[in-house]
Amino acid sequence: MSDAGKSGAALAAGVDRDLVFEIEQFLYREARLLDEERYDEWLATMAPDVHYWMPGIQARYRADKADLISRTRMAYFDDDLDYLTKRVERAKQTTAWAEDPPTRHFHMVSNIEVEATEIPDEWVVHSLVLNLRHRNEAEEQTLTARRQDLVRRDETGALKLARRLIRLQQTVLQAKNMNAFL
Amino acid sequence: MSAPFAKGPAAPADLPRDEAPAPAPGPGPLDEAAVRAMVDSEQGWIDRRIFWDPQVYALEMERTFARCWIFVAHDSQIPEVGDFLTTYVGEDAVIVARARDRQVHAFINSCSHRGNRVCFAEAGSARRFTCNFHGWSYALDGSLSGVTAEELYKDNPTFDRSKLGLHKARVESHGGMHFACFDPEAPSLADYLGEFRWYLDVLLDNDEGGIEFVDGNIKSRLKCNWKFPAEDFVGDAYHATWTHSSALQALFGNIPTMKADRSFQVNANGHGWDFGLDFISNAATLCEPEIVEYLRENEVRFAERLGKMRSRMVGSLSSATVFPNLSFLAGHNTFRTWNPKGPAETELHTWVFLNRNAPDSLKEKYRRGVMLTFSPAGIFEMDDGENFEHCTASNAGVVTRRRKLHTGLGLGSEVEHPELKGNVHRNQVNEANHRAFYQRWTDLMTAPNWADVPVR
Ligand code: FES
Ligand SMILES: [Fe+2]
Repeated sequence: MSDAGKSGAALAAGVDRDLVFEIEQFLYREARLLDEERYDEWLATMAPDVHYWMPGIQARYRADKADLISRTRMAYFDDDLDYLTKRVERAKQTTAWAEDPPTRHFHMVSNIEVEATEIPDEWVVHSLVLNLRHRNEAEEQTLTARRQDLVRRDETGALKLARRLIRLQQTVLQAKNMNAFL
Repeated sequence: MSAPFAKGPAAPADLPRDEAPAPAPGPGPLDEAAVRAMVDSEQGWIDRRIFWDPQVYALEMERTFARCWIFVAHDSQIPEVGDFLTTYVGEDAVIVARARDRQVHAFINSCSHRGNRVCFAEAGSARRFTCNFHGWSYALDGSLSGVTAEELYKDNPTFDRSKLGLHKARVESHGGMHFACFDPEAPSLADYLGEFRWYLDVLLDNDEGGIEFVDGNIKSRLKCNWKFPAEDFVGDAYHATWTHSSALQALFGNIPTMKADRSFQVNANGHGWDFGLDFISNAATLCEPEIVEYLRENEVRFAERLGKMRSRMVGSLSSATVFPNLSFLAGHNTFRTWNPKGPAETELHTWVFLNRNAPDSLKEKYRRGVMLTFSPAGIFEMDDGENFEHCTASNAGVVTRRRKLHTGLGLGSEVEHPELKGNVHRNQVNEANHRAFYQRWTDLMTAPNWADVPVR
């Protein structure tokens, strides 16, 4: 999936503007569903075989060749649809104390790039996400991450999220918890 | 942060509710008597200033973290010569490395020359640690091994290589868990853990190969005093069904009950574990049937190694803290440390551990299951941080700080038990372990020397 040496035009080959526009709208809408805590609708944007992954990040020396983005290592999320559903189920409980009063979520998505893949109905989509959480009186937490998604058009013609790799920028999460999806 | 002590007169006795002892005194020097008055571990009253006051915090860095055995690494994290990781003992940054003698060494991560940080990576493998400032380098055991243009120091009367190594800690281990201690007067790790070693073996030695840690280490910052999470794990079974109601409902559709007559709190030297004899309840919340099957299949083998009683603790509803800041959950298989970053900030480091000889497919279930439940994004842990932060922040109020906190649940629940070691209390829903934790804290805070610290 290296795009070194390719021009923007070459990368966009096989990806027309309408498709890019449609995928952008898909991601913006997803962000709003999360901001509005419409979690069931959010889950409905997932492919049944979705892999939603946010590995833990470590600061290591450049000379260190250990594979740090690896599914043998600890992660914040390494989820299938079943796990995501369990998380949503908890958030919906009236006893989810950390959500009441609600966390005021803010998801800003940007730098969207769409790349064709070998499979006609699947695209690799790069984006940046800025997430702000405000809680209670003055609590404010900022998360930024780079995302690499695989977006698929299913048999009904709808776009679905099939893979998401979220690379956080923080090695030490500057927050008491991660009660947000990015 | 506002001034540590309340100014002006002591709080008026304006409200009832006062079987509580006298309000906290006004400003004054923080002598041993003042610290002793902050904790009543007999009746269970805790002065809120121990979670807020910068003077108390400074003293506890000196008298607890700089004197106690602090967990720094598991053997499996640094298996080969040259493997290292960086962590903290209190607010002291340390490097933990396996040197050519194959032993684990721990030393301060600060150059003997101008004090620069020597190692910036969280983990890795190295031949030596070289300082970025002037290039002094240190061997894997912390000794000074190279000095840039060393001829400059020729005939220098104060330059002695052998005295300029990085400040080394004592390192001792139990069951592959390495602890560091910067106090030469401290007792051995074995004596420090005391009878709690017998309990630690429930996790560290229920299987022939012992345990290993999953690679990686999830870290997060909570705006709380480090003692709130440490005391939570030492024995706050009480909060489990309330704080974590949402996760329990989401996973099981109901809230489990804890059995008063089939559960205990035990403690020794301020280390504590609350547990039921239910064998699998913590493990079951990982929602991976294969984990419960593994435990059931091995139940007899666990009992052969540990005896029937301890074998019932392997995956049970439980939580524990090794004083001061190493906590863990049996069944969930997570170790974590609460690293102080000032009176009102704590850095949490979490790991997943597994039986080394368990099948790989099972290890994968644990890795994912712990992440779903007990990590900063975990559906259980998510609700804990909120509590710890607000228990801390409320003490900004000067009037708020005048009232002591009640930690008296389960007074009089101590029992003699034919098998269980240490101080044993019936019913895991109890605050006996909180009281023991704070008794130990007071012992250390008021003792000028280790010789003055009683065995508890
Ligand atoms: S500060 Fe490290 S070599 Fe000078
Ligand atoms: Fe909890």
